[in-house]
Amino acid sequence: MYTIKQLSVFIENKTGELNDFTNVLSKNEISIKSILLADSTDFGLVRTIVDNPEKAKAILEDNGFSVRFTNVFGVKIDDVVGSFDKVVTALSKNNINIQYTYSFYESDIGIFIFNVEKDKFNEAVKSLLDANLEVVSASHFYK
Amino acid sequence: MIWSKNETLPRLELEKLQSARLKETVARVYGVVPFYQKKFKELGIIPTDIKSIKDIAKLPFTKKQDLRDNYPFGMFAVNQDAVVRIHSSSGTTGKPTVVGYTKSDMDVWNEVMARVFTMSGVNSEDTVHNTYGYGLFTGGLGVHNGAETVGATVVPSSGGFTSRQLLLMKDFNSTVLTSTPSFALHMAETAKKEGYDVKKDFKLKCGIFGAEPTSEGLKEEVSRIWGIDYFEIYGLSEIIGPGVSNSCCESRDLHIFEDHFYPEIVDHKTGEVLPYGEKGELVITSLTKQALPVIRYRTGDITSLDLTPCKCGRTHVRMKSIMGRVDDMLIVNGVNVFPSQVEHILSNIAGITLNYQIIADKKGYLDSLEIMVEVTEEMPMDSIGGLEKIKKNIQSALLNNLYINAKIKLVEPRSIERSMGKAIRVIDKRSL
Repeated sequence: MYTIKQLSVFIENKTGELNDFTNVLSKNEISIKSILLADSTDFGLVRTIVDNPEKAKAILEDNGFSVRFTNVFGVKIDDVVGSFDKVVTALSKNNINIQYTYSFYESDIGIFIFNVEKDKFNEAVKSLLDANLEVVSASHFYK
Repeated sequence: MIWSKNETLPRLELEKLQSARLKETVARVYGVVPFYQKKFKELGIIPTDIKSIKDIAKLPFTKKQDLRDNYPFGMFAVNQDAVVRIHSSSGTTGKPTVVGYTKSDMDVWNEVMARVFTMSGVNSEDTVHNTYGYGLFTGGLGVHNGAETVGATVVPSSGGFTSRQLLLMKDFNSTVLTSTPSFALHMAETAKKEGYDVKKDFKLKCGIFGAEPTSEGLKEEVSRIWGIDYFEIYGLSEIIGPGVSNSCCESRDLHIFEDHFYPEIVDHKTGEVLPYGEKGELVITSLTKQALPVIRYRTGDITSLDLTPCKCGRTHVRMKSIMGRVDDMLIVNGVNVFPSQVEHILSNIAGITLNYQIIADKKGYLDSLEIMVEVTEEMPMDSIGGLEKIKKNIQSALLNNLYINAKIKLVEPRSIERSMGKAIRVIDKRSL
């Protein structure tokens, strides 16, 4: 229930590329819950969580994008000093390597999205639950 | 000045010499190279069917693929103890084309290269700055040995390091530059940027340029920028390396050293021999090579031959500067590249598609090569580091196997141009 299907999409670094991507999603009434753009010199990666990942993937592929699902999980934290530290500590204590993380806010709470090594996924979620942290259920994002 | 009296032999005498040498070569390859014995038998001929050079069209062709199929030494006509030098060029399936030289082959090579330098007005009073690559390529060492043979001082600087090359060329008072024409232009451009007065600071009088197809306009530019005489050299490792032919001071066309290399022009589709003056594929038979004699080697280069007497006094036939290729071979900064070689390299790299496109272009005066590869879901699509690593892997595989430096660009699926559904593999933006 904690597995969120994040879409990883390859885009070239050229004018209008991101717009083509957002256009396709908006025309098909897919809502972007969170988005992160990572870039290198001549290409970029869009990491996004949407309300309907299966549909989004199919539509993007029909429009010529290369898309892959990546399993991530989200952790809810309060907007107070030290709350993110708690999350990272819980993972780090259990020797879980964070591959990347990004965050977004919903009213007064923040959600951090994490990507860890595939075989450590369940262990990571468990260590957070054990530390009394709130891992977001995937259905939180989906329609 | 003319180095050898063989260069001015009356045509009849030259033909006699060619006939004798061809008969000897044919008898030898039939006796010791199984590849040729088999080919001869297939055509139903024996060495004694060849009575003079005029019978050469009866003989089978040799192709680059034959050398690859017989990798490494299957086409050699001598034992290893007689071989004193090996050179090689890159190959399509990871296996390079290998060529070998006996002591007497080295003497021939030095001899023809000495003719090249003499033809270009170079002698013991000159200093030759040689930027052709040293190593497995024949360019660097071939030119080097020839310059030494005429007694010139050689600066074996090899390629790259343009600023240092300019410094040495100025301080050593080099009078002769040997390089690809595009590198010569690149050097001139760098020299200007660095504040040199190109015509005053350097003592160059001429250059011997080759290893890439060159337009007349580009030749004039090299000649004008440096204020030097332009000589053009032609050669290929399968025949000997540089030194198959060279232009003289009377003509832009290149005299082929016919006493060692017998040229024909053939229709590249039918293999039919074309008369002098007609354009077609250059085919060369080695007449004196010991380690690796080749019979009617298909060079893939398109040119035509001109037998009219040259004012310089040499009787050897002249070929036009190479006009193109019969195949899709690209020449990038003097290095030969077949798209199929690139494809083979790509096919060995995990995680990429074979949807690729090679784009050859000019960056300043030098060639640049960009290879676009479409990404797929199988690639490490969620990791910038992973994708960068794939780029690096492709780059180093191309450099290690094909000796080319290419920029790799990952692009979106279906973004590579297609024509009638078929992807366009090569775009050459360089204009001759």
